[in-house]
Amino acid sequence: MSEEQTHSIDISAMQRSQQALNIEDETVCLSVKDLHLYYGEKEALKGVDMIIPEKKVTAFIGPSGCGKSTLLRCFNRMNDLVDSCRITGEINLHDNNIYQKGTDVAELRRRVGMVFQKPNPFPKSIYENVAYGLRIQGINKKRVIDETVEWALRSAALWDEVKDRLHESALGMSGGQQQRLVIARTVAVKPEVLLLDEPASALDPISTLKIEELIHELKNDFTIAIVTHNMQQAARVSDYTAFMYMGDLIEFGDTNTLFTNPAQKQTEDYITGRYG
Amino acid sequence: MKELTTDHISQQFNIELETLRQHFLTMGGVVENQVSDAIQALLDSDGGLAEEVKDRDATVNQLDGLIDEECTLILARRQPAASDLRLIMSISKAVGELERIGDEAKKIASLTISLIEEGESPRGYVEINRIGQMVSSMIHDSLDAYARLDLDAAIKIAKRDRSIDMEYKTAIRSLVTYMMEDPRSISRVLNVIWILRSLERIADYSRHSCQHLIYMIKGVDVRHTPSAQLDEEIQ
Repeated sequence: MSEEQTHSIDISAMQRSQQALNIEDETVCLSVKDLHLYYGEKEALKGVDMIIPEKKVTAFIGPSGCGKSTLLRCFNRMNDLVDSCRITGEINLHDNNIYQKGTDVAELRRRVGMVFQKPNPFPKSIYENVAYGLRIQGINKKRVIDETVEWALRSAALWDEVKDRLHESALGMSGGQQQRLVIARTVAVKPEVLLLDEPASALDPISTLKIEELIHELKNDFTIAIVTHNMQQAARVSDYTAFMYMGDLIEFGDTNTLFTNPAQKQTEDYITGRYG
Repeated sequence: MKELTTDHISQQFNIELETLRQHFLTMGGVVENQVSDAIQALLDSDGGLAEEVKDRDATVNQLDGLIDEECTLILARRQPAASDLRLIMSISKAVGELERIGDEAKKIASLTISLIEEGESPRGYVEINRIGQMVSSMIHDSLDAYARLDLDAAIKIAKRDRSIDMEYKTAIRSLVTYMMEDPRSISRVLNVIWILRSLERIADYSRHSCQHLIYMIKGVDVRHTPSAQLDEEIQ
């Protein structure tokens, strides 16, 4: 290689994927301030402060019972459904505290959609599953619904597999397809944030990879927060990772750094599979 | 390095890492002996020992292949993260450095055999002895630093390469002067210079393996950091 050619190589472009992300540079989508959550007497979240950056994937990892799913559920007030649950502190979605009085929780859950571990399609057709949220919003124009259903199914990388059987029952689909259908149903109402609570843990490895690929696509349009037990999955799909332990946020930072050189010993012990 | 290979919930993973560590240190020991034997063979004009060094390079190469394979298998099986990942990456690179040190020892042994065949004239041997001792202790101490995961030692040893470079330049200068005075000695002195050159390279490889160790312990890549800025970079 001549010297001239060597000089023309743009190293900074080659490093684009590895450049350390900086949370300070991100647009804040959700901000959590001194969040405490109690189930009866038990304090499940012990004062969490963090932000969820916009149009990035933020992963939550930690052992069972560390509070990661609980925190995720706070983002669209799913914990309201638990009787003994009490919350102090703030969660702001674009500067509006979602826990202030008068918040329209149904509208909040449209803006902050959620997908669970087990695919939960309605016992309806594929088409009706995706159209459901639109109909609830009072959208009845067939053309609008048709277009949105196609867009949502394409967004969930499912369109090509189901376009010829849109009116068949969703329950006849494979687990991986059902999970992508649920994601399509969630994105159909154009939320801002997608909360994924172990979205791939009930799926086979190939379906898991499809979901991960989908997450990669979806972050162009949505802010994503994902809870996963699979650390390699967190390392693969997320931009930022939060490690939680016994209700505390132990470490929160860019995923590449957290998985190669974590700052906290507890994080290190957890991700290397050591006794805590 | 011991604490890096224990305490995993998976005992099997502990065993895999411990085996890797043992094999790495074993290979280090073999390479260390190769270098000191090669120097000794020259100083004693011991052709038999030089032949042994040449033969034993095959062992170094086999260990290189073995450890490489172990690293690959651990990556495939365990998807290590954090300090485990850095341990694998560092060992995998440091093994390459050891293998190259082994090659240099073999070169020294071959040159020794030529020098013995050409007959006595120990010009330059004093320099080889001095630099050889510095290089041998550098290898020894760097392996020791690996065994004890000693960051301070790794930094200090990496810096020693500079004084070896200076000794090397001084030795070359005096040998060049000698060749100008006595052109008939050129071919013989050139062989001595090749040996000095090998020793100087060995010091470089030892420095590199200390840099890999610093990465293993601190997660900081100092491969292209000048010695003088090492402390600053690591803090």
